[in-house]
Amino acid sequence: MQSTKAHWWFVGPALFLMVVILLMPITIAGALSFTNYSLGNPGADFVGLDNYEKIFTRSTYEKMFGATFRYVFVVVPLSVGLGLGAALLINSTRRFGDLYKTIYFLPVMAALIAMAIVWEFAFHPTIGIVNSTLERGCGSFLETWHWYAKGCERGFPLWLTDRDYAIWTVAFIGIWQGFGFNMVLYLAGLTSVPRELYHAAEMDGAETAWDRFRLVTWPMLGPTTVFVVTISFIRSFQVFDTVEAFYPQGGGPSKSVYVMMFAIYEKAIQQNLMGIGAAITVVFLAFVMFLTLAQRWLVEKRVHYT
Amino acid sequence: MSETTQAAVSAGTLPAFRFSGAETLKHIVLIAGSVIVLLPFYVMLSYSFKSPAEIMQNTGGFFGMQELFRDDYCIKLGKDAVDCMVTPVIYNYTTAFEKAPLLRYLFNGVVVTVSIFLIQVLVALPCAYALSKLRFWGREAIFGLVLFCLLIPVHAIALPLYIMLAKVGLTNTYAALIIPWTISVFGIFLMRQFFMTVPDDLIDAARMDGMSEFSIIWNVMLPTAIPALLAFAIFSVVAHWNDYFWPRIVVTGDRSLFTPPLGLREFKGDADGDNFGPMMATATIIVAPLIVAFLIAQRRFIEGITLSGMK
Repeated sequence: MQSTKAHWWFVGPALFLMVVILLMPITIAGALSFTNYSLGNPGADFVGLDNYEKIFTRSTYEKMFGATFRYVFVVVPLSVGLGLGAALLINSTRRFGDLYKTIYFLPVMAALIAMAIVWEFAFHPTIGIVNSTLERGCGSFLETWHWYAKGCERGFPLWLTDRDYAIWTVAFIGIWQGFGFNMVLYLAGLTSVPRELYHAAEMDGAETAWDRFRLVTWPMLGPTTVFVVTISFIRSFQVFDTVEAFYPQGGGPSKSVYVMMFAIYEKAIQQNLMGIGAAITVVFLAFVMFLTLAQRWLVEKRVHYT
Repeated sequence: MSETTQAAVSAGTLPAFRFSGAETLKHIVLIAGSVIVLLPFYVMLSYSFKSPAEIMQNTGGFFGMQELFRDDYCIKLGKDAVDCMVTPVIYNYTTAFEKAPLLRYLFNGVVVTVSIFLIQVLVALPCAYALSKLRFWGREAIFGLVLFCLLIPVHAIALPLYIMLAKVGLTNTYAALIIPWTISVFGIFLMRQFFMTVPDDLIDAARMDGMSEFSIIWNVMLPTAIPALLAFAIFSVVAHWNDYFWPRIVVTGDRSLFTPPLGLREFKGDADGDNFGPMMATATIIVAPLIVAFLIAQRRFIEGITLSGMK
């Protein structure tokens, strides 16, 4: 017999926590975004859409969106592409596949803050391993590359402190950290591609490896790709650890690495401007919700062919 | 069909190229990738062995020469120069523990991650059981709510949660580090999906035996859910051991509450030239537990971390 009231004891705590920890904060963020609230003030004034107006007109926030989108639109395609590439290569080699898989997955496991500090070291202009390795290549054929020759002559970039390179360097670390995760998802996706399809494609005249990839593998990986792309987007919108580690104040050279999460942290936590922080949070939430809903819609539209 | 192609096809993969160099080429690309991926790990480990001079001049190979060097801080304390000669690797690792309360940070990390996981299970398991095996009014609505909450990224609730915690005076406490993570809608969803596959007969039999609903959860459902729970444990522990964003927000200043990532960050904040070695030692110590566990149980870890792929 089913006891009648037991379920409320089971569902109750979860329900309570969901409301208090997830739903209430969303509502609060929404409400605060229309005010100029600061912690410690007794009340707050209603300021209408002022905060949002600031976000979409002021140059600081223009930089914020610039940095965020630059980061996102570099990290997502490259970490997905490299994840897929690594998965295909590993899947097609006869040996050491597991070893490569283990190596590529290591960055996913390591605390990003620790690895960020190590990368900062590696990118150090004078004692860093990156530039000292590059210098070793001077005088070789690499100098035919204009950029390289310039580096040999006038010194290689300062990477993290040069505003032309900073955001790309941070994005590189993001790719380094994330592509192994995508690789593992793609490897799982690959195992579910039925072998007969390759035979069938071959019978139908798919001669080259590229043909087989285009006609069988890629379409069959559709659902995996939709998921991998969405989760990469969400993860890169949330980038914070590296930025805060490199630029605890101000968001990098000329604010070129002033990504959204850091902006929220700076405005709300460091400067106690909760209203504007809440407004950025709402914009961020809108992005993520849109992406997730787009993913669900795509999945329901059957990107899978089985 | 060439032998290469056959082997590749039978492994359920893309057929390989037909020329013999293809396999070599693949390995060259994969090895190049591995070098870049491993580079920071190499730097971290290597620098944690070296003396300041070796780090500055980039000499000494991977392990450093391990020649004794003079610890200037020790000289400042007024000790004899002879007593102040130290081996780099020992100096780096002992300084890591002495300069900052690293043990305390590690302890905090364990307390926080373990508490989070235990509470998550305590909350999620009964809820998942009710959602999958009990029929009651409002069940669909609650499950709908769970699905909706899955959409909410944790980064979006950080700021209002911080305000709420500050209002009740809970910032700079263990509670602040743990509370936001006590509810894992993902855990509820995952466990519900898993429980759906458990046959009803099993539960009916347990009820016949006079077991209460409560003990059914812990004595019948829990044991069947161990594999899923283990994967979830890995997912949860990795995420919270490595988390930096949330601790950074709610813990300010009070070192005794620092989690390992915060401790390392502070170390970096006041590092000067001589402390690169100890800093890298700290980083190694913080990263090592998860990496070692991962190397031992790779399959389980990959399963756990990519759990979110099942959404």
